[in-house]
Amino acid sequence: MSAATLPGIREDQDLHEDRELRESPESDRPWQTVVWNDPVNLMSYVVRVLREYFGYSKEVATRLMLAVHHDGHAVVAEGPREQMELHAQAMHDYGLWATVRRAGA
Amino acid sequence: MSGERTVVMEITLLEAAHLADLVRQFRDLIHDAESAAVPADPAVRRLVPDAYTDDPEAARQFRELTSSELLDRRDQDAQSVLADLPDGAVPTDPDAAVRTASIRLPPDRLEAWLRTFAALRLVLASRLGIRSEADHDDDDPRFGIYEWLGYRLDGLIQAADGAF
Repeated sequence: MSAATLPGIREDQDLHEDRELRESPESDRPWQTVVWNDPVNLMSYVVRVLREYFGYSKEVATRLMLAVHHDGHAVVAEGPREQMELHAQAMHDYGLWATVRRAGA
Repeated sequence: MSGERTVVMEITLLEAAHLADLVRQFRDLIHDAESAAVPADPAVRRLVPDAYTDDPEAARQFRELTSSELLDRRDQDAQSVLADLPDGAVPTDPDAAVRTASIRLPPDRLEAWLRTFAALRLVLASRLGIRSEADHDDDDPRFGIYEWLGYRLDGLIQAADGAF
């Protein structure tokens, strides 16, 4: 929606409304499995877990591991809630700390 | 992929005996924690962490559904490792101590070893209060064990990857 279709509305309100319209309802947004950084798990181990469990390539797994390491966390999967909980449990099984959250939260 | 090959680990009888001792302590820790809804021991809590940071009720439900399964699996992994290790107490004879044993780890056994090494490190890190990768204390021998576990874990991963 462009600003031109909403005459008379101040620009900042207009942008706000535009953003609201673009956002999908909460129930439509997928869930995410997030892996968090810790000072204990070895980088090589995190890469191996991501390759072994998710079947990610070495490159993808390494990129995710580095994101966890440098940004403190990384989204490793996105989809239905039940599936994300299974992934989180699997990560806990390997000793990685993972949480589940709704995308865009 | 990487998990398809059998890895052979050379370990001295001294290392093996100390590792077996650690793994037995680890099993005791898990058994003690299994009855609690929320484990009081922070080291065990790290093994069954919160899956929701912003929703205590969802975190509780998740824990209720997964915690005993996770701890059971830890125990099974620990039993596998003990079964693979040579029997015997910590050798007192120096010649026996440096004698090595070869442990063959097919893919499923290897996974149990990797998870157990990682879990032992998490427990030790909790006991040692490790907050950053740089934490170290030369006077505390437990740091030596912690670092040895990391060295062995990394070696197993490299071996499984075919780097050796």
